[in-house]
Amino acid sequence: MNMKKFTRLTCLAAAAALSVSASLVSCGDSSTEYYTASQSHSEIIKDAAGKGKVGNWGLGNEYEIQALLAKYNLPTSYLSQAFDMDGFDSDEILLASAMTYNELGLVINDYEGGYGYGNKVSTIDMNDEGVAMLEDNIFCTKEFAKENPNTVKAFVAASLKGWKYACEHPEEAAQMVYEAGSSVSADHQKFMASEVAKLVTTDTKGQKVTNYGNIDREAMQQTLDLAKKYIKLDDSAASARLASMTLDEICDDSFLTGAIGEPEKTSVKIQLKWLPQSQFMGYYVAAAKGYYDEVGLSVEIVSGGGDIGETTAVSNGTVDFGVTWVSNLIAANAGGMELLEVAQIYQRSGLVLVYKLAQ
Amino acid sequence: MKSRQKKPKLSERPMFETVTSVLYPLLFGAVIFVLWETELLHRMIGTTESILPTPSHIADIIANNPSKLFGNLMMTMLPTLIGLALGSLLGYGVAVLAAMFGRWGAGGLTIVSCFNAIPIVALAPVFNNLIKTVTSDITIRGLTAKVLVIIVMCMSSMSINAYRGLTQLQPFGEDLMATYGADRKTVFLMLRLPNSLPYIFTALKVSLPLSVISSLVSEYFIDTVEGSQSRPGLGRMIRSNILNAQYATAWAYITFACALGVALYIVLMLISKRVLKNRGK
Repeated sequence: MNMKKFTRLTCLAAAAALSVSASLVSCGDSSTEYYTASQSHSEIIKDAAGKGKVGNWGLGNEYEIQALLAKYNLPTSYLSQAFDMDGFDSDEILLASAMTYNELGLVINDYEGGYGYGNKVSTIDMNDEGVAMLEDNIFCTKEFAKENPNTVKAFVAASLKGWKYACEHPEEAAQMVYEAGSSVSADHQKFMASEVAKLVTTDTKGQKVTNYGNIDREAMQQTLDLAKKYIKLDDSAASARLASMTLDEICDDSFLTGAIGEPEKTSVKIQLKWLPQSQFMGYYVAAAKGYYDEVGLSVEIVSGGGDIGETTAVSNGTVDFGVTWVSNLIAANAGGMELLEVAQIYQRSGLVLVYKLAQ
Repeated sequence: MKSRQKKPKLSERPMFETVTSVLYPLLFGAVIFVLWETELLHRMIGTTESILPTPSHIADIIANNPSKLFGNLMMTMLPTLIGLALGSLLGYGVAVLAAMFGRWGAGGLTIVSCFNAIPIVALAPVFNNLIKTVTSDITIRGLTAKVLVIIVMCMSSMSINAYRGLTQLQPFGEDLMATYGADRKTVFLMLRLPNSLPYIFTALKVSLPLSVISSLVSEYFIDTVEGSQSRPGLGRMIRSNILNAQYATAWAYITFACALGVALYIVLMLISKRVLKNRGK
């Protein structure tokens, strides 16, 4: 009798599952179930997570996605995603992580390296979902900031001047980056520049930002709170440091304002988080337009890529400044490094989850 | 009449050799250990504890997360052993074929050994993509891709060594077999197979560490489920902890990876000693 009941229950469950999935199935001839524009984000996220088809690169880029999954009471596991969008293209990943300025551009556009989906895809934005964590910043070690306050101020001021010009003239900025040794095509570089400009001049709530580099304490606090929740550390000493971390231990906005004296160190290097691309256009513009020379600095831009650890490079003194995500800086400080953010370039999260729309 | 042997010089006594070959390295290791633990080493090479964590810090992490680390270890060890076994069997099979068909056998082996020249970093993504359509279970897929990489890496060392064992026989061994009127099968079972046994172990000594390395490195490129309940392999954990600037934790995983390689090697040596015990007598 029990067995019978069990069978009936299973049948019911199966029927329910079928009807649910049937409602998700596209009317197209494709066998994969795509989503429709009328579906709620909650519905889409739950379905994709249930199938284990939410993708992220991991390796420190996953916290917003985990926060989003947790928001919908889902397990925080995800599928590892390669640094291309092939997994998304082949439907292996239904909800793929993408940066608005990079992977999303490749998905939408049909220029070299693009997948050409155009308006056949839609996105879920981390800012709108309330799980945004701040990304690209400028940081150095606490020791360097203390010993070279004028160098830090001069570097930040000139860089922000570069960012301002870049955001006002994204096409020109993209060209400068391209000429400085680009890792991607000129078309993608242009797309990236225009998208990055949006992230630099809009905050997590969609408000216009005019004071470039501003450290928005509310958005920073949200980033720190989410980091404390989702950065899982096996090292008990590190995890204790993370749990008690305060905003003042990771950022200082005093270098954004005030008079700039004679720089203590005039020759400095900045380590990028990735290969040369418009993601970092502000620095390339500042160098090309001589903004660094104006403040008496000679700046070398060191490109990243692969497994370059920008936090390690800055911490051990290979370079003076670095560009990293706030969550990576938090993890590094939890691990015992003494890093300090001196400017927050991106004012909102550039991470979205992209999904295909049923046609 | 006393015929006492002349006492050997101190430096020629076996005891002394043991002392120099064991004690000196141990002493050197101990000095490094003390410098490392007291962070004097950090001052000498100009680094910090966060980048080069002390042994006690690493040991602490291992002591606090034993079950988690063992879980990750299993995910690396399982494909290592399966891949090693399958790759070696396949390699032996190739060697048998090559020994049977002498004319093109040696040439064929050269081609097989070419596979060995393909770097793991090239093989891993290829296999990862190749089996994407086979199964949708990520864990099984990841393990399979790792096993395939290891098979390719192990195959050639076994086939080349085993071929040598199957063909380089004792002088007159084949002639003796001929006088017995033994057929090819008997020659193979009674002469070639036993003759190849030590060569099999020579091959395993090379391919065992290689398969551990292959397993660790291919984890950098292979699809995994990450997050709450998952258990990526040691290689993936080393990479993600280094990228997250968690060097102490990365070292804990590196320690486990080393321990895995050393432990498997010791087991192999013990088996080899036992199997080859009565040989050459």
